[in-house]
This record gives sequence, structure tokens and C-alpha cells, in this order.
Amino acid sequence: MNRKYVFASVIAFVLLALVPVFTHNPYYIHLVETIMIYAILLFGLDIVVGYTGQVSLGHAGLFGIGAYTAGVLFLKLGAPFWVIVPASIAVTAVFGALLALPALRVSGPYLAMVTMAFGTIIQILINEMTFLTEGPMGLKIPKPTVAGYKFDEQSFYWVVTALLALSLLVVHRVLRSQLGRAFEALRGSPVASDCMGVSVYKYKVYAFVISAGFAGLAGCLYAYSEQYISPNTYNNELTVMFLLAVIMGGRKTRMGSMLGATIIVLLPKLLDDLEMFRMVASVLAVLMLIGAIIGIARKMTTVQTMAVPVVGTAALAMFAFWLESITDWRLSIFGLMILFVVYYLQDGIVGFVRSLLSHRSRGAQMSHVAHAVDSSADPIIRAAKNGGDDVLVAKEVLMQFGGLKAINQVDLRIKRGTIHGLIGPNGSGKSTMMNVLTGIYVPTAGSIEFEGRSVVGRTSSDIALSGIARTFQNVQLFGEMTALQNVQVGLHHTFHSNFVDVALNTSRYAQEDKSATARAEGLLAFVGLADLAEEQARNLPYGKQRLLEIARALALDPQLLLLDEPAAGLTAPDIKELVSIIRKIRDHGITVILIEHHMDMVMSICDTVSVLDFGQKIAEGQPADVQANEKVIEAYLGGTAT
Amino acid sequence: MLKIKNLEAGYGKVHVLHGISIDVPKGKVVTLIGSNGAGKTTTMRAISGMIAPTAGEITLNGERIDGMESFTIAKRGLAHSPEGRRVFATMTVTDNLILGAFPRLTGSRPKGDVPADLDRAMDLFPRLKERRNQLAGTLSGGEQQMLAMARAVMLNPEVVLLDEPSMGLAPILVEEVFKIIENLKSQGVTMLLVEQFAAAALNVADYGYVMENGRISVHGEASSLKNDPAVKAAYLGGGH
Repeated sequence: MNRKYVFASVIAFVLLALVPVFTHNPYYIHLVETIMIYAILLFGLDIVVGYTGQVSLGHAGLFGIGAYTAGVLFLKLGAPFWVIVPASIAVTAVFGALLALPALRVSGPYLAMVTMAFGTIIQILINEMTFLTEGPMGLKIPKPTVAGYKFDEQSFYWVVTALLALSLLVVHRVLRSQLGRAFEALRGSPVASDCMGVSVYKYKVYAFVISAGFAGLAGCLYAYSEQYISPNTYNNELTVMFLLAVIMGGRKTRMGSMLGATIIVLLPKLLDDLEMFRMVASVLAVLMLIGAIIGIARKMTTVQTMAVPVVGTAALAMFAFWLESITDWRLSIFGLMILFVVYYLQDGIVGFVRSLLSHRSRGAQMSHVAHAVDSSADPIIRAAKNGGDDVLVAKEVLMQFGGLKAINQVDLRIKRGTIHGLIGPNGSGKSTMMNVLTGIYVPTAGSIEFEGRSVVGRTSSDIALSGIARTFQNVQLFGEMTALQNVQVGLHHTFHSNFVDVALNTSRYAQEDKSATARAEGLLAFVGLADLAEEQARNLPYGKQRLLEIARALALDPQLLLLDEPAAGLTAPDIKELVSIIRKIRDHGITVILIEHHMDMVMSICDTVSVLDFGQKIAEGQPADVQANEKVIEAYLGGTAT
Repeated sequence: MLKIKNLEAGYGKVHVLHGISIDVPKGKVVTLIGSNGAGKTTTMRAISGMIAPTAGEITLNGERIDGMESFTIAKRGLAHSPEGRRVFATMTVTDNLILGAFPRLTGSRPKGDVPADLDRAMDLFPRLKERRNQLAGTLSGGEQQMLAMARAVMLNPEVVLLDEPSMGLAPILVEEVFKIIENLKSQGVTMLLVEQFAAAALNVADYGYVMENGRISVHGEASSLKNDPAVKAAYLGGGH
């Protein structure tokens, strides 16, 4: 975030604050106020929907909890405004944790249904708990009074503006911090998050709690803004509107949330007025035409794909002028417009505009990379040399899936500071072994001790934090995040700052963030990806993705590094590069377990090699001995092993 | 059979292919070699319509196929065995193979004898026969790779694109994969092959193209490329 953005935001907020000066019409002031309140909620909803990739149809319920907390606290206890605001946030956040519970077990449509049920239950509870909420009668709340000053419509507008600015600042800081990266990592690959020490469990709950906090704040302000709350406001229609706002505006952007809020508040009103509708439809058609021309001129899209939206918007404009009365058509038009946006602008309006303007911003990003790589300090932390000779001891490990014994009574002893090869035919249980060692599977029987402590039954993130890092056979990067951010997720464990540090941008957080960024850049340079730091991981070629996985795993400061087929898909020269990287890792005292099918590589760098076949260990020893072993040749190497 | 002329493609803003031309004659095996990120997989994806080319022409049997949707291209007889296998994990091996023949079953390609071809594919890959009722997702990596290849062949295709068929396979299976390619070749199947084991690929291929940074740097008969000192130094060092 550079100065230009900060400057633009300040200007925008000053303009926003000046609205009541330009117009004294309370209707318009109230309209803008509602937009701002919705925007606060959408900031929070975007954390859950845009970043962690969960669906929530329970946010109208949370919004209602915020509003009713404010209402009940005021009417029953006469609490002052400065108590009510934080209390609404806190109470709603607790309910957010409750809403997160189903998200830990289910996803997709199931989660949508469960969260929707949550919203419905909240609405019913508000309706039925008449002793607190007055039920369907609703509650009347006057504008707040602070230190004897009673806010009016205009001054309360400024309170909302200030809180919106504050929310924007907090949400911006949270999302660019290690917390935001953790949320995004969950969406990219839950398995990899856990194996990077970022507990999926913990951060899903965290995301819902923070999200609910914003919903609570929005609900509280809404109660004061409307001065009257009743249960039927917080229904499923509202929750769908919120979700639409995030999608239409554009997920993962604050601008999108604000735009989305504007659309869901203003669009229904615009459609009340035929003249207004005609104007909007015409402007939309012209904008679409301009967008299409730019797109085609820049060769980003073809005439065929742009034809339908251009003709569609033009038809809508013509339709608007043909109409004589709008009331009958209102809902259909609203539905059509929504369909249009969701179908054609899948990244939302902000995402669409950004992709149009992307040529310029790309140049700017590149220049950032150029000066960034100058960290001369060693990015890899030397593994501690405490403990015994063996880093990892596995005894009689059995992993059974139904009737299939994927790993059958395997013993493994990994010597500190060595590269231990694990080879065997496809389906012999090598990757299963990796998954057992990293806690993804819990072995059916047997013991595994890492640095003298049992691994069995501990969570993946706990095991990762204790010093076992890994890469994946099927690359598990956080696709939408940049290469640098992927490594930064691996460095999550170096952060001790909490939500408050992040929100206040304390020196502790700033310090940690700075050193993490420098180390992440160093690690990228170590695997030779320094110049691709700002590229999204999913855009990297396969081989480079594998190197990025290694850099990310090293960020965990591991004692033991598990590499699952790092050379798959690499050509001979690339493999040479990889071999020297693995040697350098070993030279830092980090023990390596290497699964690989490239025999010349395995034979040249491994100190010990174990061979699995049908889940059993059939050979172990020095590479040369293993290579000469009859059983190994028959099961695995075949005739070409020379 | 398959002709690519001045093809350009990329992902979003990133330009990967800068005008490449490849000719795959009927009944021949052509291999595309190059280092990581040279654009081999992107070329494959552009040919089968998984990404839209931004310029250039691709013709299959004289018919332009660039800009078509993947499923239309498949109906024209181009099968793609993609990098990373992409089998239908929750379906059985047999169902995966039958889906490979989908355009034949719906009548958009000559039907032929699908059950007979299914048997033939199983014979070609005995391990798949053993596991025909198993869900594809429970197969090991190597078996999935075989399934992806067998599924491509089930289309009775004019051309097969094989992207890294030996990736992640045990040495003994790598041998087997190349035997299978050899076998398909003797049956007259036209193939475009991308392989990490450049030497082995050049052994099985008739023609070779070397890619560097999204351009074709050298091409020619596979036998002469194998002995080209520059190619040797850059791509054949070590390996298989």
C-alpha cells in the first residue's frame, strides 16, 4: 500500500464526511450512512468468503445479534454508548465462534445450508425471546448520548464515517499481516497450511470471530441509525444480499466491499424511479461499450466474447426507454442485472476494472522486486545439534486402510544430519509414510519418536511447529498468493504479535514483519526464485513450484525436511541444480528424507537408502548395496539400473 | 496431421509462447524437449484448447482447431494425457476408460468397438486390469499415470498428446511407459510427447523440437538431435 492509495483514501473519506454539509436532506444522509454500515459488515464477510474461501449465509443473523445486543443493553441496562459498541462487537464475536464450528467439519453447499440454518435460528430466537427483545414488536432506540451530548442525524453520520475509516484501517492491517496470509492459505490448501504450522482449526475460528466482530459493530450502528429494530430485518434475503455484494463488488478488495454495499443499497432505490433507471441503464451500456473496445484493442478478449454483454446492456437501455412504468418489472430487472454481473464479471466489478488496468500496475510490481533482494544474511537457520544420533525413530509402524495394509510393520531410523533416501515402486507406501510422519494419518499401530518425543496422535500443525517440514508429491501451494507470500506463510511461526499488535501496527509487529519479509526473500533467492517473488504461485511452471515448496518448507526452520519427489518433471540440468540445493540444506545440519525415482540422484546424494515394497521394508543400507540387491532390482529398478 | 504455425499463448498477462511452429506428421512420434518453464506444457494446453492461443494457427487434418473449446477439439480426434494425470478420482478405472471414449459413445466420433478397445487398453496396461473396479483416486501415482494414458487412447484418436508420462514413476515403470509408447507407435498412433527423460524421448521419437524460453531453438530428426553437441550438453546430461 503506497502513499498514493493512502492519499486517495483520505480524500475519499473527507468527501464522505462532507456529505451532510452539501445536502441537508435527511433521506440522502441516511442512505449514505446505511451504505457505510453495510460496508463495515462486508469487510468482515469478505474475510470469511474472499480470504478463507468459506461460504457464510449466517451474517444477517450476526448483524441482528449486533443490533439486538445494542438495543437490549440500552433498554434493559441503560448502558452508555461507549460500553455498547465494544459489547456488541464482543457478543457477536462469540456467536461468530459458534458459527465457525460447522465450518470445521463441512464445506461448500453443506456449510451454506448450516450457516443459513444458523441465521434462521437467530431470527427465531429474537422473535421468541420476548422478555429481552419484545419479539415482533421490535425495539425503539434513540440516538446515543455521550457525556451529555446527544447525537443528531448529522453528527451520528460522522461517528459512522469515523468508525468506517477505523474498520478499513484495521481490516487492511489484519489482511496484509501474517493473520491475513494464514486466512488465504486455508483457502489455497488446508493440508499445506497445517503442515506449515498454520492450524486450519484455529484460523478458521479466528476468521469467523473477526468477521463476526465487524458484523457486530455494523449491527450496533444500524440499530442507532434506524432507531428501531425488529426481527424480520435480519432474514435470509438480507444474508443473500450481503453475499451478492461481496461477489458483485469483488472479493478480496475493500473497494469491492464498499462498491457492493453501494449497489445493494442504491440499486433497489434506483429501480423505483423510471427516469433514474433510464439514466443508469444508458451509462452502463456506454461503459460496457468502452470497456469492450479497450479490451479488444489490448487483445485481452475477442469480439465474440464481448458481443453478448455489449448487446445485452444496450438492449437493457432500450428496454428502459420503452418501459412506461417500472413497478411491475423492478424485481426482474434487479435479478437480470445480478445474473449479468455474476456471469460476466466473476472477479466482481473491482476485479474486472483491475484486469483492464493491469498492464500498468505490473511494471510497478517488477521494480519492487529489483531492489528487494539484498539480504546477505543466511536465510536458513542452522538446525540445532542437540539430542541423540537419531532424529527420528519409527518402530513397527502399521497403517491400515480397511483391509489394505499400506504400511506394514516398518521400522525407520533416521540419522541426524544425513540424507535418507526412501524408494520403492509406485503404491508401495512411501507417500503414506510421509503422511504418517507429518500427522496427516494417524498410524493404526506402532510408535514414531521425533527428537525423543512421540508424534503419534498429534496434529499436523503441532508436528510441523516441532520441526518436521515437508513438500508434497502433488504440489500444494497457495495458488492465489505470490511466491513471496507462500514463503511468508511458512514463516508464520516467527510471529508472536497478536490481533491487537497487528491492528495498532505496534513496533513488535513491524519488526517481526520486516525480518520475516527479508528472510522470505532470502529463501526465495536460495532456491533461485528471487525474480519471481511477486508472481502468483499458480502461474509458475511445475518445476519452479516444486522449488517454491522447498523454500516454504525451509521457512519452518525444520530439523527434518521431507521431500516427496522433488525432481519429478525436472530435466537433467534442473536436477543438478536441485541436487546442489539439497546438499546445501544438509550442510545446514538439516536432516533430509528424500523420496525420489531418479536413481542417479538418489544414489549420488543419499547416505542411507530404505526400500519399500507393498508396504514392507525389503532392503536398507548404503546406496551401492541397495542398488545391487536382487530383491530391489526385481521389484523396482528393473534392467536399466546400471 | 497436426500442424502448429507461429503459435502464441500465455496466462493472463504472462506471455509464454512467442510464435512456435511444430509439425506432427501422420503415424510419427514427435517429442518436445526443453528445460523447466520453457513452455512445453503451455504448448500442449494451447493445442488441446485448455488455454486460448493469442495468435497463430493450429490445424488438425487441415482443419483449424485453434480457438475451439477443448471438448470440440477432442471430438475432432485429439486426445490429451495431461501433466499431473487428472484422472476422475471418484470413478472406477473402467469408468474412467469408458469416459475416454465418450465422444464415440455420443456419436461425435466413429463408434468402432468400444468394449474391444477397452479390453485392448487393459491388455496394454495389465495393472489397470487388476484394478479395474478400484476408484481411480485410490491408485498410486504410477497407476494413475497409466490410466491417463490409457484413457487418452480410448478416444481412438488421430493424435495423442502425452505430457510427462513418466513423471513420478519408478524406474521399472519408466521403462514400461516407454515400451507402451513404442507399442502405440507400432500400431500407427500419432503422438506429440513431452518428456523429462529427453534421451529416452529422442530414442522413441522420429522428430524432435527443442524449446527455449517459449521459442523453438533447434529441430530435426530425433537421431540427429541426439548427437547434436549443444542439445547433448543442455538436455541429455545424466538423466535416463
